Amino acid sequence: MAEELKYAYYPGCVSQHMTRETNDATRLIAGKLGIGLYDMPRANCCGAGLLTDYDYKLYLALNARIFAEAEAMEMDIMTICSTCLMVMSAANRDLKRDPRLLEETNQVLAAAGLHYSGKVEVKQLLWVLAGDYGLERLKEQVTRPLGRLKVAPFYGCHSLRPSDALGFDDPEKPWSLEATIRALGAEPVEYRGKTKCCGFQVDLVAEKTATKMTGVRLLDGKRNGADCFVTPCPFCHINLDNYQGLAEKSVDERIDMPVFHLSQLVGLAMGLSPKELGLSRHLVSPERVLK
Amino acid sequence: MEIKFSIRRHDPMDRESPGPYYREYVVDAAEGMTVLEALLKISEEEDPTLAFRRSCRSAICGSCAMTVNGFARLTCNLQVIPEYEKMGAMRIEPLANHRVVKDLVVDMAPFWEKMEKAAPFLMPAGGSETSPVTIEDQARIDESQRCIMCGCCNAECNSLEIDERFIAPAASAKAWRFVGDVREGHQAKRLERLSEEHGIWDCVRCIHCTQYCPKDVKPLKQIESLRSAAMKAGVLDNPGARHVEAMADSVERFGRLDEAAMTFKTLGFLRSLGMIPLGLKLERHGKMPRPYLFPQIMEIDEVRAIYDEIEKKSGLKPKKEE
Ligand code: SF4
Ligand code: SF4
Ligand code: FES
Repeated sequence: MAEELKYAYYPGCVSQHMTRETNDATRLIAGKLGIGLYDMPRANCCGAGLLTDYDYKLYLALNARIFAEAEAMEMDIMTICSTCLMVMSAANRDLKRDPRLLEETNQVLAAAGLHYSGKVEVKQLLWVLAGDYGLERLKEQVTRPLGRLKVAPFYGCHSLRPSDALGFDDPEKPWSLEATIRALGAEPVEYRGKTKCCGFQVDLVAEKTATKMTGVRLLDGKRNGADCFVTPCPFCHINLDNYQGLAEKSVDERIDMPVFHLSQLVGLAMGLSPKELGLSRHLVSPERVLK
Repeated sequence: MEIKFSIRRHDPMDRESPGPYYREYVVDAAEGMTVLEALLKISEEEDPTLAFRRSCRSAICGSCAMTVNGFARLTCNLQVIPEYEKMGAMRIEPLANHRVVKDLVVDMAPFWEKMEKAAPFLMPAGGSETSPVTIEDQARIDESQRCIMCGCCNAECNSLEIDERFIAPAASAKAWRFVGDVREGHQAKRLERLSEEHGIWDCVRCIHCTQYCPKDVKPLKQIESLRSAAMKAGVLDNPGARHVEAMADSVERFGRLDEAAMTFKTLGFLRSLGMIPLGLKLERHGKMPRPYLFPQIMEIDEVRAIYDEIEKKSGLKPKKEE
């Protein structure tokens, strides 16, 4: 018997609220796959990239507080948000690389009675499936292969870059999402924009840039033959799905592209129902492609 | 090893010529040969009409930047065989996000215009010409001084791809070189200009600039430094700074990101009203973020203690404009 995979589970703020369907779907598939997810009730927000603009040292200390919690649980962290993955991994890289910075951060943490020694790793669901769990094993769990479905893998930026902090996949020639799509019995679509940005960081700051960027990415996948998109990032999901109407206006074209969370696509192939996976919460209905 | 190069050709000035199109050349690549050497071989031995730029051949002048297999690279420090072995192809195109002049040569004028906007020269306050510069002062701007103006970062910039008026990473990194210089006397003015529309807050944080800069200038890090400096200097009356302030506030209160409060604080009352149609749609799907109904995380006091500690050390809390 392989040792149980156990993770300190960090869904990220947006998956506990706006896109909670991906959190629910993740818990369901993890249960079926036998992956142990252990809650982190004290964990704070990683800062979603914004706290770095506020104060770098504050960003480091708040992320170190998350790591300290996981360290006390003696587990690595698994998140389902690529932005949390990037933000936490970059902080972790800086802390592990520079003992003086770690020491200084620990002095700040001491005010809260905490300490981080630098042992935690941060992963995301995609890496857990394609790495720790293994796609061969995942294939064995597929009961309803997603035959004929042409899926555009949308990595977005934060699951691949900066590669010196993330490391699992190759930013120029990524494979993990395509290989996962194949393991589920579907067909990955190749297109240029798969590792580019959806624009969410400026949704509220430079709306025109954000909506047009989303539109350009969706059209790119569509023109290359995609029936639907899949993304490991809830923020990308918000832009690609929730804001698709705005994106259509900005590129002046009807797109009508269903967008799955990675956990949902895995769940579908494992025989879970659209209802269990919260597909009705999507603004663009995936019904059409599931027939 | 024989390797097929597929090169994008286009002469926009020649109305008769077809284009753009890809032409293939087979190059006998020796161990250690760079992509630039292969291009020189092609132009010397096979096709003198192929246009491209190069000068130093030592990754110093920045002129040989091109798109190789989809990503911006300096062709003089990229070896053919490992690149081919990794990507299974050798596709050479001009830098993205730039207008093509001919084949692999692009128009760099907009790049220089953005640089000029960043006012790339020191404007010391009276008397500061002789002020001492410590090693730490120097280190703060070290990375931004390494830029060779190759344009790789701008070519990869996702925000520039959508909005050609965006200041973009190269000029932003250059701006930090001066804002971060202890001898500079006009930080606040610079930060105000940089915070205008199409400025530093329009960066989508895609990290492409930092990943593809051949000199490790880390433009995104310099943008973060500019944003942080702008907030600390009280340049807060713009959506970008309001958004970050709202986040810092939300994490301090709840330990979490409060989507609804952030929308309201970033956009203000009137612009938030414009979100109502989308809000109603979200509501129907159970996706409307609820303001202030967020459960606090456990041990929120620890988070607040961290804020207090940082504030003691760095005098955080951006100054509000009076
Ligand atoms: S991080 Fe910002 S400046 Fe850098 S490439 Fe992306 S959008 Fe452009
Ligand atoms: S910042 Fe880096 S990529 Fe950008 S122009 Fe300078 S050297 Fe080139
Ligand atoms: S030729 Fe000068 S940088 Fe490549």
